[in-house]
Amino acid sequence: MTEPVTTTVSAGPGAVPDSPPGSLHQLFETARRELVLEGRAGEVWGIVIPFGALALILLPLALGPDVPLLARVGPAVFWVVALLFGMLIALRQSSADPAELRDLQRLLEVDPAARLVGKALAGAVWLLGLLLVLGAATVVLYAPAIPVRWWMVPVVLMLVALGVAMAATLAGEVAAGLRSRSTLAPLLAAPLGIPVLVAAAETTDRLQVGGSILTPTLLLVMVDLILAIVIVLAAGPLEDATS
Amino acid sequence: MTPIAALDGIEVRLGRLPVLRGVDFMVSPGEAVGVVGPNGSGKTTLLRVLATLLRPGGGSGTVLGAPLGTDQVRRVRRRIGLAGHQPALWNELTLRENLMAIARLSGLGETAADDALYRVGLTGAGGRSAGRSSHGMRRRVDLARLLLTRPRLVLLDEAAAGLDRSARLLVDAVVAEALGSGGGAVLVSHDAEHLGAAVTRVVEIEDGGMRVSGGRR
Amino acid sequence: MTQTGSALPPPSRARRLLEPLALLALLAGLWFAMTAPPDATQGDFYRILYIHVPSAWLAFLAFGVTAVGSIGYLIGRRRSWDRVAAASASVGVVFTALTLVTGSIWGRPVWGVWWDFGDARLMSTAIMFFVYLGYLALRRTVEDPETRALRSAVLGAVAVIQVPLVYFSVNLFRTLHQTQTIRPDGAAMEPEMLLALLVNVVAFTVLYAALLARRIEVGRLEEIAEELTPAEPAGRAVQPPPLGEVGGG
Repeated sequence: MTEPVTTTVSAGPGAVPDSPPGSLHQLFETARRELVLEGRAGEVWGIVIPFGALALILLPLALGPDVPLLARVGPAVFWVVALLFGMLIALRQSSADPAELRDLQRLLEVDPAARLVGKALAGAVWLLGLLLVLGAATVVLYAPAIPVRWWMVPVVLMLVALGVAMAATLAGEVAAGLRSRSTLAPLLAAPLGIPVLVAAAETTDRLQVGGSILTPTLLLVMVDLILAIVIVLAAGPLEDATS
Repeated sequence: MTPIAALDGIEVRLGRLPVLRGVDFMVSPGEAVGVVGPNGSGKTTLLRVLATLLRPGGGSGTVLGAPLGTDQVRRVRRRIGLAGHQPALWNELTLRENLMAIARLSGLGETAADDALYRVGLTGAGGRSAGRSSHGMRRRVDLARLLLTRPRLVLLDEAAAGLDRSARLLVDAVVAEALGSGGGAVLVSHDAEHLGAAVTRVVEIEDGGMRVSGGRR
Repeated sequence: MTQTGSALPPPSRARRLLEPLALLALLAGLWFAMTAPPDATQGDFYRILYIHVPSAWLAFLAFGVTAVGSIGYLIGRRRSWDRVAAASASVGVVFTALTLVTGSIWGRPVWGVWWDFGDARLMSTAIMFFVYLGYLALRRTVEDPETRALRSAVLGAVAVIQVPLVYFSVNLFRTLHQTQTIRPDGAAMEPEMLLALLVNVVAFTVLYAALLARRIEVGRLEEIAEELTPAEPAGRAVQPPPLGEVGGG
């Protein structure tokens, strides 16, 4: 650390350009930053994913080693754990900007919708990691029947990751700054996650019997679109509400 | 001359408690006003009203020409620089990365960020993680941000708290730069001693009401 | 004089009429419910339907009112919208619980279980219950009235989408379609039963209106109470510490 330079600088107009960078740019900027932040904090890979894997072990312990039953419920348990722990990812405390950072982004005129969608995108990336790890763990622990068209599963995983991340990000923003945020936000997010859960479980059910997964996949796409629209619409009013 | 900020009869309640009662306040171009008051007197709230982040429940005012409580404040927010109680930093980013992120969000270039970092004497320490930096260093980055964005209205909350002497001169420099280009500054502290040399006028605030305590300190 | 500019508001003429009217209507509903003919298969047990169906109707009506109030607040930012939304949620959550309980009681002899996950309507009603609880939990947590109104309004508006989505997805993928025909939907009902049901629906609606009006009034009184309490600004509670008394020296 050196002495600061305190000589006066030539006066001039404000350095910041008149209008902020485009919303899309801000969106990717936010997403990129959130990815770096979590990458260094290591909360997802270090804590949430292990915890999720642990949760997968709990059910067979409670149920007993009933192999055919476990094979049947495996996918369902996977989706439930994915939903609940996926929300934890998007709602982790470190992803909540403290008041001074929110103030700063407001003053810099960061588009609130861009900020939220960017956050959700980053959350979806981490969620995908969770889903992949938990998926592998489910296959190992529950030995469900592997569907022939298993390569369709990643598509479903991506849609689910997006949906859960968006639902949780929205709920997190509604509860932003509140004392009870860590408990309230999951409660608010869970009902939003149910259509995702149902559609996702339906796809794995159908895949296992070799049926068409077009309808549930379309439902997932529709839910994701609706959630995205809701986030964009709600972002502005919610930002006003944090004053 | 249009004032940088003018408040008339501002009332703010947070929850049930009145925090500001009938506050009249003005900052003229080229003026740095110090606001002094005990804990809980409403200083930080006043600053947030001036930053257009808090909508007053009563009274009226303008900041940089935009009437408070209207949509027009959005156009002037980018010209307002607020360094609040806690420095606004992302803990997992380094000090330099924090400035870079802010530069990008503001539409400024990397060289401007490096320049600001240099001016606060942190070029060598730029690689330090913000979460593991001392409060003084974090504060300097906050001030670097103000040097970077060069706001027209500078709002400082306990700016000098925890800074060594050379860093406190930084505060004066930040204020001087804003004033030099015809802007204004408001510095808030619980102790008039901490306001720095650039302040031209001091007002006292107590119990949400203001009293002008006279001209030069 | 309060900041709202008036003394305590007198109960409105509408509210004074609603409460005795509701009582009368409920009594009429009860009479009709008891005098309707017994069901061919279930005997007298089915009469719980006269509570269940109107409750369900009200649960969703209240929910809709909350949604409308929320959207209204988001558009106009007037506190009256927020008051209506909040009051309707308070009333609605009770009727939702009533719907679930009576539905469960009625369903037990019919389905053999206390709960039928294959029934999309039951599931979406249950989810609506949780959405209500979340909404009320949010309102309890936020202290600042304006922030509270704005955030609950967003939640209330979002909630409108949640319930149909849940219904849609459960109906599409998780329903055993035979359960749908077991529910009495009026197709198998005699005219007197239908009339009794109608009377009870109307009676419950009047009850809802009366409760809503009362709840809105309580809400307004709470706001007045908030404004009347401390005129002292926040800072006055803080005093310099009595340093002269500290220490043993």
